[in-house]
Amino acid sequence: MTRDLLVVDRVVKRFGGLKAVGGDDGLSFAVPEGTFLGLIGPNGAGKSTTFNLISGVLKPDSGAVMLDGVDLAQARASRIAALGLGRTFQTPRAFPSLSVLDNVIVGADNEGERVGMAFSGRWRIRERALREKAAAVLARVGLSDRIGDRVGNLSGGELRMLEVARQLVRDPKILLLDEPTAGVDPSLQVKLSKILVDLHAEGRTLIVVEHNLHFLLRIADRVVVLQNGRLLSQGTPAEIKADERVIAAYLGADHAA
Amino acid sequence: MNLVQLFLAVVMFGSLFSVLTLSLNLQYARGGMINFGTVAYFAAGAYAYAIVTQEPPSGLDQYLVGLHGPWWAGFLAAGVAAMAFAVLTGWPTLRLRGEYLALTTFAFAEMLHSLLVNERRIGNGTVGLANVERPDPGSLGLPDAWTYAGAAFVLMLATALVFRHLLASPYGRAIDAVRDDEGAAEAIGKDIARLRFEVFVISAVPIGFAGALYAMITTLVSPDLFTAEVTFFVWIALVLGGERTILGAVLGTMALVGFQELVRAIPFESVRAAEIAAAGEDIVTGVLFILILRWQPFEAMMKRRRAA
Ligand SMILES: Nc1ncnc2c1ncn2[C@@H]1O[C@H](COP(=O)(O)OP(=O)(O)OP(=O)(O)O)[C@@H](O)[C@H]1O
Ligand SMILES: [Mg+2]
Repeated sequence: MTRDLLVVDRVVKRFGGLKAVGGDDGLSFAVPEGTFLGLIGPNGAGKSTTFNLISGVLKPDSGAVMLDGVDLAQARASRIAALGLGRTFQTPRAFPSLSVLDNVIVGADNEGERVGMAFSGRWRIRERALREKAAAVLARVGLSDRIGDRVGNLSGGELRMLEVARQLVRDPKILLLDEPTAGVDPSLQVKLSKILVDLHAEGRTLIVVEHNLHFLLRIADRVVVLQNGRLLSQGTPAEIKADERVIAAYLGADHAA
Repeated sequence: MNLVQLFLAVVMFGSLFSVLTLSLNLQYARGGMINFGTVAYFAAGAYAYAIVTQEPPSGLDQYLVGLHGPWWAGFLAAGVAAMAFAVLTGWPTLRLRGEYLALTTFAFAEMLHSLLVNERRIGNGTVGLANVERPDPGSLGLPDAWTYAGAAFVLMLATALVFRHLLASPYGRAIDAVRDDEGAAEAIGKDIARLRFEVFVISAVPIGFAGALYAMITTLVSPDLFTAEVTFFVWIALVLGGERTILGAVLGTMALVGFQELVRAIPFESVRAAEIAAAGEDIVTGVLFILILRWQPFEAMMKRRRAA
């Protein structure tokens, strides 16, 4: 038995009276350490909202989220990130006034970001190592030749990979990716799927939201299906593909075959 | 007024107010915070300097405290006072965004101003403190004006260097990230409340030092030296010089101070002519402000935020 790294326990979130996540009993699921969890469901099912609730961007109206045994109720997003949670956003986000390389380095925990350290200049020693690490991560996501570029010159797909790189450089315990293949070309998708498989093999915990099931169901080892904010089904990819309710609600008749 | 005097006045006040512009530049251009209460930190520094250096009250004095300390103690106290006022005003307000922060910082500055006017035990109310002690500049063998112009210039250089040192470090990168996109910065563990608060407080310290120097130069501190006009002056200088660079902030301030000193230096035949010139100065300042509103740098910043 591996322990549960993340536990979502009877979480409810309403937007103006409507339940975006939760249904009657709230949304509950657990993610054992080392799991590659696929999170799927129709548009508006509550997948991104679930990510926001886990990462502290939103707070649940009721219910609890536990990360590695820590109750996140009082924790701000930055604190949750510092506890080892990494996430990307459905719409890629970058820091336009920083170069591509700095957009990645800034993700790393950095002692130079404390005033005393900044003045002492001791950060310079670490900066070199961080540069190399960031460059390696950028190479991994196929952005080597854009290192010195301005973020404004990147394409949508490249921005998405840049955001992944910024999270990878932090070595998060658990990484949440919201539609990482959207707008990413097939060759880069292959690269991304290899990265995810490698991270999984390294024992890292992943939750990936994807509408590209061809991509996701081949590499995830568990799947949670949401519909209208409720847990519709969960199981292995094979079980999900065969689940009548999932076929009816999301996959469509074509997948049944 | 001859050319040398004009030059000295521009260097002296230009450098002095450049310290304020540089601090504002750090808060706004890098930290993304709109502070419309800049004058308050300046006043806090000047009053702290006066109170620490002046003699204990006597005769008609209404103020309570005069420590008659050495100038350097007053100078340090000025930095501490500005910092303390930044802590006090920054803590409750820094969660506010954009124009809300601008309004609250403005309100805090107005509160300090009316406190100085009405609470006479601090600084004699509207009369102000006229017994400000200052170091004997003659000890350097230079005339007063040269010494204080030099001191202001050194303070400006020191401020610029310290800020540049800070911004060139990973700290600068982190605050750029926070300004660009708070949500994305939080997602990589940046404590945005801490970073914004630190930037706010750090940038207030040199303003306090400038306040002390200003008190030494004028040898008088009174509430009417520290009105919102100072804040707007610094904002105009910042936008004039371009908000992006340290050099721009300095040049913008020098240009504005130079313009004012030039108007002041014109020998007028009559009181009437002087009045017209003063009005002209106000008009030009007003036009500059309208141009700034036309460019709408705040608007641009809001857009950047929303787009993020
Ligand atoms: N900030 C918000 N305010 C109001 N309603 C919201 C907000 N965020 C999400 N919702 C609503 O919550 C529901 C779930 O949205 P969410 O973005 O989580 O869906 P999703 O599963 O990620 O969908 P998609 O596949 O389209 O990305 C939707 O009905 C959406 O309109
Ligand atoms: Mg979504």
